[in-house]
Amino acid sequence: MNKAALKDISSIVIRLTVTCLLAGIIMGLAFVLTHDAKAKNEQIRDERVMYSILGYDKANPAPQTMALHTVYRYILTAGETQTVAYLVPVSDKYSFVELDLSGAFVRQAVLDADALKLRNEGERNAAVAAVVPAGTEARYADQFIIVTNEGKRMAYILDGRYPGFKTFIRVKMALDAQYAMLGFEVLEHEEDPGLGAEIEQKWFRGQFEGKSFEQLKAAQVVREPMPDELRAAITAKKPTEADAKIRADHVGDPIYALTGATISSRSVLNGNQAMVKKFAYRMDLLDKVLQAQGIKATF
Amino acid sequence: MANELSKGALISRGILSQNPVFKLALSMCPAVGMSTTVMNGLMLGVAVLFVQIFSSLTISLFKNWIHPRIRIPTYTLTIATWVTVIDLVLAAVFPAAYAQMGIFIKLIVAFAIITMRLETFACKESPSDSLFDAIGMGLGFMVGMVAIGFVRELLGSGTVFGYDLLGFKPFLFFILPCAGFFVVGLMMAFFNWIEAKYRERMAQKS
Repeated sequence: MNKAALKDISSIVIRLTVTCLLAGIIMGLAFVLTHDAKAKNEQIRDERVMYSILGYDKANPAPQTMALHTVYRYILTAGETQTVAYLVPVSDKYSFVELDLSGAFVRQAVLDADALKLRNEGERNAAVAAVVPAGTEARYADQFIIVTNEGKRMAYILDGRYPGFKTFIRVKMALDAQYAMLGFEVLEHEEDPGLGAEIEQKWFRGQFEGKSFEQLKAAQVVREPMPDELRAAITAKKPTEADAKIRADHVGDPIYALTGATISSRSVLNGNQAMVKKFAYRMDLLDKVLQAQGIKATF
Repeated sequence: MANELSKGALISRGILSQNPVFKLALSMCPAVGMSTTVMNGLMLGVAVLFVQIFSSLTISLFKNWIHPRIRIPTYTLTIATWVTVIDLVLAAVFPAAYAQMGIFIKLIVAFAIITMRLETFACKESPSDSLFDAIGMGLGFMVGMVAIGFVRELLGSGTVFGYDLLGFKPFLFFILPCAGFFVVGLMMAFFNWIEAKYRERMAQKS
């Protein structure tokens, strides 16, 4: 190889490297500068979805006395045994409450972190790692929010993910204190446009609203068209008393499948059922333990 | 090699005589995919305008340091960098609009029109001339997208900017991707016809 070619090659390599480095620096700067705003946007969107499934919007704002309490769930693995830990808010601190798989109380500890710190996943994991014994591995599982108004429990807000027709469907769901469905919102999905993607539609999601725990557990998907009056009542822009009555009359109805997307419809029903069932089971166990141990949670 | 056109001529060339959509027929894929409504067309047009301006300026400033054998990779890297920046800024500042057109922004990297402008103009001319050329081409693309979007939205869903003008949907067909080609073709013919008429009149006068 002659010298000129070698010089050419090295010059190309150096220039490309410098270009890539510069590009990386510019993109990195843009990322750093926009990161906070993006995270804030996502949080705002999350909150808006949350309030909208609770039935609040700009015209009908949430009461001032309403408070949100986030509970985090961790899976602890020590050798062969698995236990579950909940991070429960108590006054201004968080308490670490460990339960075994049958729901019996194992132990409790106070976490050295407040609600704001725990929102960050890294700091939360560090706070949990500080209270678990050595050799135990703590893995974050999920979180839910307990909504209270004037000290009374008003709703639970859960995030969930279940398989749809193609990939996972991610939802946010609100339940009332008796685990009746207040509503849910589809956040992410990859169902077929025009068929399964219709699970986002208000008229489809609206069928679940108001169903009690028992009604939801017993619900089935039917391949029948939804009665026109019910559909009109659910999609009404300004629901009237009459609309509310029609919906109340139909609350025991089965879930009317989307035309051409029975599998997607069934996935949503099964997914919602499983989410609510699991949550109700866990919440009951946690409540029992909190009461027996005299742990004064803020909710 | 130096550019002899005035700044104004550089801008009007991009919009009229060398319009990237109607004259050069470049970047047809996004023009067809995204131009279903006026708003979509406008947003993509604005994004392309910014990417074109930043990329042209960058290449024009650094043209003496770019090795001729790796021009194209360098252009692609430059465009990709600015697209990423615009993508991040849009996501942070206009989350609602970004949710609608997020995936199309990333496609700008592969737009032929931007690479073409860098290769034929920015890498030879001064930064100020490149800036005006980029503004002209970007505006030309935006005008094209808005015009196609207007026709498709009006005929396809009977609305303009989301406002219901007709009250009914004349041809749902115009919303579908394949109709984009028909609209582009018909508008191209229309503009060529106007130009031909204009030339004819000019010839008669002289």
